Amino acid sequence: MNGGASTIPVAGPPHDATLPAPVERVLDNGLRVVAFSLRNLPLVAAQLVVGCGGAAEREDEAGLAALVAALLTQGTTTHSATEIAAASDALGARLIAASGYDASIVSASATTPAFAQVFALLEDVVRRPAFAPREVDRVQTKSISDLALTYANPSALARQVAHRVAYGGAPYGHPLAGTATTLAALTRDRVAWFHERFYRPDDATLVIGGDLEVDEAFALAERVLGTWRAPSTPIGERPHGEIPPPRAHVAIVDKPDAGRTALITGRVTIERRSPDYYPATVATAVLSGYSGRLNQEIRVKRGLSYGAGVSLAARRQRGTFFSSTLVDHTRAAEATEVTLATIRSLAETPATDEDLVTRKATVTGGFFRSIETIDGIAGALAEHVLYDVPLAELNSYAHRVQDVDAESVRAFAARGLVPDNFVVLVGDASKFADDVTRAHGDVRVIPYDRLDLGSPTLGG
Amino acid sequence: MNAKPVTALPTISASAIGVAPVRYADHTLPNGLRAVLVPDRRVPSVAINIAYRVGGKDDPPGRSGFAHLFEHLMFKGTSRTAPETMDRLTEDVGGFNNAFTSEDITNYYEVVPSNHLERLLWAEADRLASLTVNEENFATERDVVIGEYDQRVLAEPYGMLDELVNREAYRVHPYGRGVIGSPAELNAASLDDVVAFHATYYRPDNAVLVVAGDLDADETLAMIERWFGPIPTPSTPIPRVRAVEPPQTAERTYEYRAANVPLPAAEEAYHIPAASHPDAAALDVLETLLGSGRSSRFYTSLVYDKQVATNAYAAADLREQPGLFGVRVTCARGVALADARAALEQELERVRTAPPDELELARVRTQIASSVVRSRQTHSGVALELVRAITERGDPELVNGDLARYLAVTGDDVMRVARTYLRPENRSVVEYLPA
Repeated sequence: MNGGASTIPVAGPPHDATLPAPVERVLDNGLRVVAFSLRNLPLVAAQLVVGCGGAAEREDEAGLAALVAALLTQGTTTHSATEIAAASDALGARLIAASGYDASIVSASATTPAFAQVFALLEDVVRRPAFAPREVDRVQTKSISDLALTYANPSALARQVAHRVAYGGAPYGHPLAGTATTLAALTRDRVAWFHERFYRPDDATLVIGGDLEVDEAFALAERVLGTWRAPSTPIGERPHGEIPPPRAHVAIVDKPDAGRTALITGRVTIERRSPDYYPATVATAVLSGYSGRLNQEIRVKRGLSYGAGVSLAARRQRGTFFSSTLVDHTRAAEATEVTLATIRSLAETPATDEDLVTRKATVTGGFFRSIETIDGIAGALAEHVLYDVPLAELNSYAHRVQDVDAESVRAFAARGLVPDNFVVLVGDASKFADDVTRAHGDVRVIPYDRLDLGSPTLGG
Repeated sequence: MNAKPVTALPTISASAIGVAPVRYADHTLPNGLRAVLVPDRRVPSVAINIAYRVGGKDDPPGRSGFAHLFEHLMFKGTSRTAPETMDRLTEDVGGFNNAFTSEDITNYYEVVPSNHLERLLWAEADRLASLTVNEENFATERDVVIGEYDQRVLAEPYGMLDELVNREAYRVHPYGRGVIGSPAELNAASLDDVVAFHATYYRPDNAVLVVAGDLDADETLAMIERWFGPIPTPSTPIPRVRAVEPPQTAERTYEYRAANVPLPAAEEAYHIPAASHPDAAALDVLETLLGSGRSSRFYTSLVYDKQVATNAYAAADLREQPGLFGVRVTCARGVALADARAALEQELERVRTAPPDELELARVRTQIASSVVRSRQTHSGVALELVRAITERGDPELVNGDLARYLAVTGDDVMRVARTYLRPENRSVVEYLPA
């Protein structure tokens, strides 16, 4: 066939993107409200960010914050779990409560005519959860069942192991979903205690916006959440633990029935408020994505895996930088060395200008797509709130990314991504453990049936 | 004083949700290319989708997985461009691109800042007109696809389930081969197969191009005419699948065991008509009624009340040709699959024997209308909805009539389709068990 033409047309000047400007106010009860208006689609979203999550729970209570969040929608003193589910679905709404390490978030979104009603449901589940013993039992049992699904997936299991390897007994080390042992030991009293202690207006922020004016949003927040009273106990200090320094060592979980081996390498890196956040974001983008260095080395050049990437999870305290891929057992040792060398390369050789221009475009493009939806904007604002980042940074995000230069990426990589990377491998150890041990002295092999995610040292 | 708690259970009517119609321009070029353009200036980006009417069901004999392998090869460059050009044109300017192969279509898509639209139209026209593949990148990409098979089918705990369901349900129709194919047949494919496949299916009259976003319809049409217009259409007819699956008359059951199965699961797949059939809307309503949301019948009964399942879903997999209605259950820990399946069967029997009441139907309609509003938030959501309407049902305007069709579905319709299609002798069951 023929046709078409030999030269590609050039791009014209870009069209401007506009972001809604968030406006904030604090209610008398201490609740911070962040509102925005974007009236081009009939949708409204709210996210209530409560300032404590899994990092606030004890080691032997791993999974408590997640259990509390899961139970909020399972019945209040005014409505049963079934009624809440029926109401939320009848409104075509999303009403979701979930807990991360640093916060718990209750979010509600719906089409404009349904929003006020789902917002009232949000208020009900946040303020009056019943924690009926039958519901506590039911959610505990289901959470334990769900763990079996997580553990069967080598990549998901490797992520939980990697948190332990990176943090040990420090705040982000234990699994947010808990373990079968810790979940079974949680009681209704402890659930109620956590809720009473941490769900309070003077340590929470409501992000609300979409198809309404900001004044309407504030009025709705005041009417529905203005009477929420803080308990007399002080808020107290945020959980803060000593994070162990990075250490180069290898943990292998021997799981012969895994279809492929999950490989994660990484290190504890920066907190979200670090001035390094933007260089770190660009460094992550240079390594990640289809055209990122790691996928080029692992998939495109060597065909070791269907894909490989890295991720940055900057948190309130120092978060993680992980690489991850899934490989044939027999090539796990090779993939480990390629991954470590590729990450090291960024610390040694600055990215070229051409590299940087395109990878920064990937970051800003991804950012603008993430805020294309009302839920996406609310989520981005909630993240700023959660990490005490000034809201104005949302509008300057693209500029801050553009300001990152090659040397700052290299310098960050040299202190934030290397040295001392840990390695986690979950797979059939008989096919790779010897090779990995030859390359790295410090290797520990844990049989799957002796793995204990509830232990800072993983049991075994 | 506490705020007044909610007392009455809230609800809204689906008709109160303002679902704005999708406004589009629809053109067919003289060479047969259909181009649908949706101007929407909210966000300065555009979504480009080009779907070819060729999917897993059209794989050559003995070459299962070929359409999907071919999709990968479309990223390997042309006589004018290097491999990975699509990534340079999208990722490097802040966009993205990808593609998927279904049973019926291969859909390539990009989202880019709107000032880059014409560059992507050029590149899509270029790879339609002049794909070049050599032995080396053919072999590499085949390994990547086999890697994808290993990752998605072998390594994932329930990865074989979809493949087994299709294989059991179809004895005659090529839907039984699935999309990803088998490594043995992928390894049998040759470069000659690639050339023949491109010549057979990658032609303007077998493509649908949908562009949605920050664009001017007239300018965009001129660009499309400029780059796609000169591509000739062969005079040979496009081969179409004519096989008809004979009606199933007895239940089929297949038991699969593997070491990496954490909890027993089962899928029951019932034959249903094509997406263009008048019963399609009622089947979509049935799917939501049974399986969507925590007030759905499966969740309420199996997961919440009886606690026999950790999850339970329903999916009306409506295709261009007769598809499947799948119901799937994953056991709760310690529950026998027979008990979970008995609870599932009770729910199916309930919907076969009594129509849902108005309150329940109102809930389902609102859920469906709300999900349409959500998916239309993005240009790519709108573009894909149009691609599917055209390729599965032949008419883009259907996207503006779907909501009315859902609202018109009555409780009796739902019961009737459940009775008609969810019959034991019309189903294939795959039981997926730990070794």
